[in-house]
Amino acid sequence: MNLFLQQILNGLAIGSLYAIFALGYTLVFSILRVINFTHGALFALGAYATYLLTGSAVNPSGVLASLFSAFFGKPALPLALPFLVSLVLGACVAGLAGMLVERIAFKPLRDRGADPLLALVSSLGVSIVLVNLMQYLVGTEIYPFPDTVLGNLPRAINFGVPGKPVPVRTVQIVMFVVSMILVVLLTYFINATKTGKALRAVAEDTTTAYLLGINTDRLILLTFFLSGFLGGVAGTLVGLSVGINGPYFGIAYGLKGLAVIVLGGLGDIPGAVVGGFALGLAEAFVPAHYVAYKDAVAFALLFIVLLTRPQGLLGRAAVQKV
Amino acid sequence: MGSFFNTYGFLLTSMVLAASLALSLYLPLMAGQLSLASPGFYALGGYIAAVLSTRYPAAGNTLFPLWRLLAEMLLAGLASGVLAVLVGVPALRLRGIYLALATIAFVEILRVLSLNLAITGGAVGIFGIPQPFSTQIGYLWIAGPLLLLSMLFTYRLERIRVGRAFVALREDELAADSMGISPTCYKVLAFTLGAVLAGVVGAISAHFLNTWNARQGTFDASISYLAFVLIGGSRTFVGPVVGGLVLTALPELLRALTGVSGLPPWLGQFLRDGRLIIYGALIAIGAVFFPQGLITPDLLSRWRKLQP
Repeated sequence: MNLFLQQILNGLAIGSLYAIFALGYTLVFSILRVINFTHGALFALGAYATYLLTGSAVNPSGVLASLFSAFFGKPALPLALPFLVSLVLGACVAGLAGMLVERIAFKPLRDRGADPLLALVSSLGVSIVLVNLMQYLVGTEIYPFPDTVLGNLPRAINFGVPGKPVPVRTVQIVMFVVSMILVVLLTYFINATKTGKALRAVAEDTTTAYLLGINTDRLILLTFFLSGFLGGVAGTLVGLSVGINGPYFGIAYGLKGLAVIVLGGLGDIPGAVVGGFALGLAEAFVPAHYVAYKDAVAFALLFIVLLTRPQGLLGRAAVQKV
Repeated sequence: MGSFFNTYGFLLTSMVLAASLALSLYLPLMAGQLSLASPGFYALGGYIAAVLSTRYPAAGNTLFPLWRLLAEMLLAGLASGVLAVLVGVPALRLRGIYLALATIAFVEILRVLSLNLAITGGAVGIFGIPQPFSTQIGYLWIAGPLLLLSMLFTYRLERIRVGRAFVALREDELAADSMGISPTCYKVLAFTLGAVLAGVVGAISAHFLNTWNARQGTFDASISYLAFVLIGGSRTFVGPVVGGLVLTALPELLRALTGVSGLPPWLGQFLRDGRLIIYGALIAIGAVFFPQGLITPDLLSRWRKLQP
């Protein structure tokens, strides 16, 4: 029973993370009907930015180490911001990079009315640039966050009765709480503010929204900022939990994120949250004997959902218009 | 000339194999289906060749018999074809981005399986795959004719009923359906043709690379092949072939550039370590500025007119 409870808590923590990561994907998809393949790279970028802002040192294998040493006398930035501040600023860095991606990879194609599949390729190209640029700058080693990064919090918190402990790592609680705060804020923003309403109008029909006087271009930029921000937070939280496992680690999460948004229905915002939790819980309940196959769960689900309910778990079937 | 072939044998063969893989992605695209499944079939074909040739080694110290390589290629093609039909019939009801996602999932599932099964050697993979040729350039005797045959096949395909049905599906599926072209039948056919080619290329590559592991069929590979097709040009079979040849040679060209004297040291270092950055930038620039790819049907017909 305790094990069961623990699996559920683990599943909820990782599920909340999948949820915010997938929200970033689905926001862009809901507006532009294209998949932004740089999302995985922004995820890693946010993690590295946060890592640097906390004042942690970089490895000498990247170019950044020698640059920092030359300017600051040590292979780190000359500051040591608290973790939460770094998290927000690091996510902002990812958000700004997302806006840059929009301008480079998406806007030129959109202005010309090109095939949406081309945007997939151009964003992949930018993603390859970003990932390898990061590798050039910081190297490929694992960057674990220092133990002291969360201050004096204990490593694990007991959720059971004293005799029957259900320990949960503090990192996972941080993960869950931060993600849930973001989900709530985003839901409020989209449903209750004027900008959110405009965003929904653009998602419904870009041309009509534009004719009604909505500055669609600015809203698309905002969407990319939000998307990158969410990706950056997710990256930092994963980095906090298991270490930043090289610039390529974002790609694997990027692919899993695809499974999540398909589960929830492409472009469906509540669906992305449901899909995230569904995947997190499904992965948590893979029997220990088959744990090596855990990474296949996401893709098996993706495949099955696409074949049986391509509109996603929550969505309604789209009518194919001629 | 001889030393040139010896030095660049690996590169030349890689280029030819890459061009064939680009064609394997182009075939479903002819029918308008964006499938990224090629690396999955490529990996499958490679594993078939690797397992068969290491489990049943050739007698003596001689080169691996050529007929066995050909048999492995045949078997890899057959197995890929059967798997393609099994996967294709349900998956090809999906369109556009959904099909692309389903094929990404297919490749990832195969990758996780090959990482964990005993027969594929797990994460380590399979080593010491026997060599049918004494030099790497020798593989051109197999890879070259395969590429030429596939090109000839695709060239003919574009001009017969089946190929025209593919193009009709690409331009407008609904209209094609109402003209009596069965979308499912032709889509699965296009998908299967691509899969067979990818499987055969995989069987050659396993011997060529001497080792085979789960890194051969990954999402990264899907993307490279897609880049070959889209940068080369996705409207004629010449495009993917040119894309595959050029983009495979590109990293080596960039490496050669670093040797040019008079280059500032930082630029030299960037060209050496940052090759993939330039590669990615070229893919993005290509997609934005040359949406039709480098080789377009228009360009080909102009060339033809230039000739007397």
